Amino acid sequence: MKKENQIPEVDIVVDHEAGVIREVKPEKLRSKKGHERRVNTSIYVLLTVMSIIWLAPFVFLVLQSFRCESGGQVNYLLPKQWGLDNYVFLFTESNFPRWFMNTLTIGLVVAVVQTVIQLSVSYTLSRMRFRGRKLFMKAVLVLGMFPGFLTMICLYFLLKQLGMTQAGAIPGLILIYVASSGMGYHISKGFFDTIPKSLDESARIDGATRFQVFLKIIMPLAKPIVIYTILMAFMAPWGDYVFASYVAFGKASSYNVAVGLYQWVNTNDFQGYFTRFCAGGVIVAIPITALLLALQKYYVEGVTGGTVKG
Amino acid sequence: MKKFLSMVLCLIMALSLCSVAGAEAAYAGEIKVWVADNAVELTKTLIEQFKTEHPEYAGITALVEAVGEGDAANKMIVDVDAGADIFGFAQDQLTRLVAAGALIDMLPENAAIVAAENDAGAVAAATVGEVVYAYPITSDNGYFLYYDKSVVTDTTTLEAVLAACESAGKNLYFQINSGWYNASFFFGAGCTLTYDTNDQGQYTAINTDYDTNPAAVTALKSMIKMAKSPAYVNGSSVPNATNIGAVVSGAWDADAAQTALGENYAATKLPTVDGYQLGGFGGFKLLGVKPQTDEAKLTACDALALYLSSEKAQIARFEEKALQWGPSNLKAQSSDAVKNNIALSALAQQLNFAVPQGQYPGCYWSATEALGDQILSGMYNEYTDDQLKQVLVDLVKSCSADVIQ
Amino acid sequence: MTDLEYFKLSKPAKMWHNLLTSLRNLPKSVLGKIKSFFMFFVHLFVGFFNEIKDIVLTYKNGDWKTRVSFTVMGFGSCARGQWLRGLLFFAFQTVFNLYIIFFGGAYLAKFNTLGTVATTRKGRVTVYGDNSFLILLYGILTIFFVLAFIYTWRMNVKQNKLAEEVLKAGKKLKYAKDDISGLLDSQFHKTLMALPTLGIFVFTVLPIIFMILVAFTNYDANHQSPTNLFTWVGLQNFRDLFSTANANYANSFGQVLLWTLIWAFFATFLNYFLGMLVAIMINKKGIKLKKMWRTILVMTIAIPQFVSLLYVSKMFAADGLVNSYLMRWGWIERPLPFWTDPAWAQITVIIINIWIGIPYLMLIATGILMNIPADLYESARIDGANAVQTYGKITLPYMLFVTGPYLLTSFIGNINNFNVIFLLTQGKPDVLGNKAGATDLLITWLYSLTVEDTNYKMAACIGIIVFVVCAAISLVVYNFMPSVKNEEDFQ
Repeated sequence: MKKENQIPEVDIVVDHEAGVIREVKPEKLRSKKGHERRVNTSIYVLLTVMSIIWLAPFVFLVLQSFRCESGGQVNYLLPKQWGLDNYVFLFTESNFPRWFMNTLTIGLVVAVVQTVIQLSVSYTLSRMRFRGRKLFMKAVLVLGMFPGFLTMICLYFLLKQLGMTQAGAIPGLILIYVASSGMGYHISKGFFDTIPKSLDESARIDGATRFQVFLKIIMPLAKPIVIYTILMAFMAPWGDYVFASYVAFGKASSYNVAVGLYQWVNTNDFQGYFTRFCAGGVIVAIPITALLLALQKYYVEGVTGGTVKG
Repeated sequence: MKKFLSMVLCLIMALSLCSVAGAEAAYAGEIKVWVADNAVELTKTLIEQFKTEHPEYAGITALVEAVGEGDAANKMIVDVDAGADIFGFAQDQLTRLVAAGALIDMLPENAAIVAAENDAGAVAAATVGEVVYAYPITSDNGYFLYYDKSVVTDTTTLEAVLAACESAGKNLYFQINSGWYNASFFFGAGCTLTYDTNDQGQYTAINTDYDTNPAAVTALKSMIKMAKSPAYVNGSSVPNATNIGAVVSGAWDADAAQTALGENYAATKLPTVDGYQLGGFGGFKLLGVKPQTDEAKLTACDALALYLSSEKAQIARFEEKALQWGPSNLKAQSSDAVKNNIALSALAQQLNFAVPQGQYPGCYWSATEALGDQILSGMYNEYTDDQLKQVLVDLVKSCSADVIQ
Repeated sequence: MTDLEYFKLSKPAKMWHNLLTSLRNLPKSVLGKIKSFFMFFVHLFVGFFNEIKDIVLTYKNGDWKTRVSFTVMGFGSCARGQWLRGLLFFAFQTVFNLYIIFFGGAYLAKFNTLGTVATTRKGRVTVYGDNSFLILLYGILTIFFVLAFIYTWRMNVKQNKLAEEVLKAGKKLKYAKDDISGLLDSQFHKTLMALPTLGIFVFTVLPIIFMILVAFTNYDANHQSPTNLFTWVGLQNFRDLFSTANANYANSFGQVLLWTLIWAFFATFLNYFLGMLVAIMINKKGIKLKKMWRTILVMTIAIPQFVSLLYVSKMFAADGLVNSYLMRWGWIERPLPFWTDPAWAQITVIIINIWIGIPYLMLIATGILMNIPADLYESARIDGANAVQTYGKITLPYMLFVTGPYLLTSFIGNINNFNVIFLLTQGKPDVLGNKAGATDLLITWLYSLTVEDTNYKMAACIGIIVFVVCAAISLVVYNFMPSVKNEEDFQ
């Protein structure tokens, strides 16, 4: 990553000597170097310990998913009998492929539509000044302070009226995820704010309409934020348990992965599904992890832009 | 013109014929059924049999969905309209369902059949006030002791079981943060706690001596003592237990316990503790029919629910290896297969000391769960008898929260 | 004091300064708030009066096309050749009329009682009466629709007046072609904002208003639609929430609120400082494999929480992996009460939340550290500042300055952090005599009240309280924020 070199070197070395650099004598410099080395070593140790803590649960999860001797929970790590039984079960005997496809569909559609809406809103709020702009931003701020669960039952009945529950849960969920995407404009608006307005203005003088400015000038510059928005929009539906289970309302073919897998560990009807849950978790985690790691750079830029300006 | 008129006449005749036929013919259409995941296939088979045995209902299309007994009640209450027409649930949900209008009272003929064919406890469990609301399908919601023969040899006292587990480095699983399980101690020691309900599913009174009977303090102390043992683990799920010496659980875990313990699989009634026999609840699973706006559909649902709770269906569910549900039907109970089943015979022994589970409100379950959580946290470890007595007074107060004044 | 001077102050001095300033300004700002509150109503009244006057005058002075438009919306626009606008107005009016006649009107009529016809039985067949839930829901929808209609009707009248004025001045009207091209240019914001705003209205504002109103009804397990009716009860639920009488909500409420605030504080600030520390460590000169460290930490973001947190919660169970191994190694005699002891459970969720939270903060801090101008450090070095001083004087203030708004959002996000608690403890362990568990946040309590107890009225009350808490915190924090943030400064 080229960016690496540009990171300013931040020193947090606890230096009790508080020496002034110009006055440092050669031998002192050497001891300072030794000190530096000690600090670096301890940072390495710390980072290694952290890495182990961070990775351990995932390694355990993968190990459990290959366990064949029993399906429940056990108090040891390494399976006594390795095998792909749990994965075979997922893809041949359970609804898991269906749930996975449901979630993937939701993720993809939401990623596209939500990105379009979110970018439109944030571009408008960043670039245009019109009546109701401040009101819109204030209203979104206030609305955001109401806990979302409150509205769940109400949304359920709205969707039901539209025929978008149970068998129609997938379009229903998409509608709900997409409908409120205008409220998540903060981060991309922050990003658009950093693109100089003079670019728009010179294009406008050249006779371009606002639509053309948006499409031809802003969009190419906004690649990181577009990717960030797509990524976020795609990832969110994978973790939704509460509302998705409400909307599917007992229709197993309309579950998403979270609803489907959650019931495997938390209801009494599915005794001994723990290793299957682990296998399902691994399958779900792989694409998302791969995507996030591949696009990590944009994620950082997006998050940074958002928090600095949000 | 003539042709047109005759066509219209024909149409009118056809329509009137249809409506006449429609009124008489049995319901043909969808009936949504919710049962536990592992019972879905069997239920589908049973419904097909029902259709062949009762040709008048051959037009039914049954949609069987896997919605567990715990979940079904929650969902039915949220939206009765979208919920299942026939659904299985555990009896502790009965009053909630009645109060929310998710259950229809039973056809008197069916009620008579149900009362005649099932054990008395099961019928009581399906009754709110004076009205029978649901069809009993199992009589196995009780708990007893599964144990590892190679670890535990003496199951007469809890102390002995714990000692055996301790010395073998194994665990005893007994879930005390649940009003269902910790009632075992209170009832065993000789205390009572029941509620009165009216026909609408509301609680009108609590009848208890937990706060006055010294035996309740004894029961509480037995739990505290048990929780102190290093071999004790709070839990009741065999597949989730990682180090089994003994588990207090129910018949639904029989298959899992057999797998987990293999050769050493054994089951028996609960032990005694501090000189009294542990008691408990005998509970039931029920099948409910929701209110309908279409009479024909309701009749079909009544018939189907009756069939799905009949002796034949109960035996089929018992024989299915993944289920092994103990029947509530008296004839089914007396069959040799049921009597020889290790888990069910252990249950039958324990049921001699258990009381049939009546109706308990939400506040009972949350208060007793809290009591268990606090025992587990070690909070009561140093309490004197007087302090424990105060805890029980608080418990009764919490248990009375849902009783209407 | 200028921003620069302010920037140079030490942290305590800065806070002291903020406190003094806000205290000094307190009477003024309170007075200002009260004044603007009253002025709002004055403006509202004056505005309303002016609107009425304008409508009457438009009718009086308008030509016949305008007058017909008062009853047939869009007539004037069509008659003057603005057929696109005219047709839209007319279509809206038609839809509105049909909606009110065939759907909304009936619900609106019962809105004040939420239904009176009880469910009855005809033999074995159930005849459902009024559905209070739907009356409330569609009643609100209809009120929205009526307001939208009034607004549109007013626009329609205004359009006629404008068109008359334009024609009188001898100018050209805007026709369909101009309207459409305008939507891509001067009116582009309308094109972009229309759909998102509609979505927010129907699927966020409407449900929120619905639930606010539920707090004033007796909608609970015993008054459940469609079988039972519910109705308005005024402030009864709030009285129950704050009373220690029979149901004893007040105790539970106080406990949950306190824990929610403690949780939000630790979850926000522990993660913030630890995440920043990790970022600084990884970005330090001489540390190799920067990308690898970052990637490892980012794993917790990538893997859906329902997988990772559920797994971790089982790991810490009494007979879970952690306890089993600790016991096998002989480090402990008996299982540690991670999830059974209230204090343990609270600390454990905070610590596991660090595991989830550090990576986000690490990424944010990394990005911000990259943005700190290098010459700031250079000049500090020349001034002879050591590492700690540089950190205290440059890094931390800069971070706090740019992430101030983020800290606030994150604090509010943590008040509403459902996933971590729900997936780890489900609010347990329970406390005897309380309606909520020891790790229950307001939001998880609200969830169990809705889903398990179907006690919607109390859940709605708590939701309103959550809002009040969040709003209060935001207001206080905004008043203490270093330097007022001006949007335009950034561009």
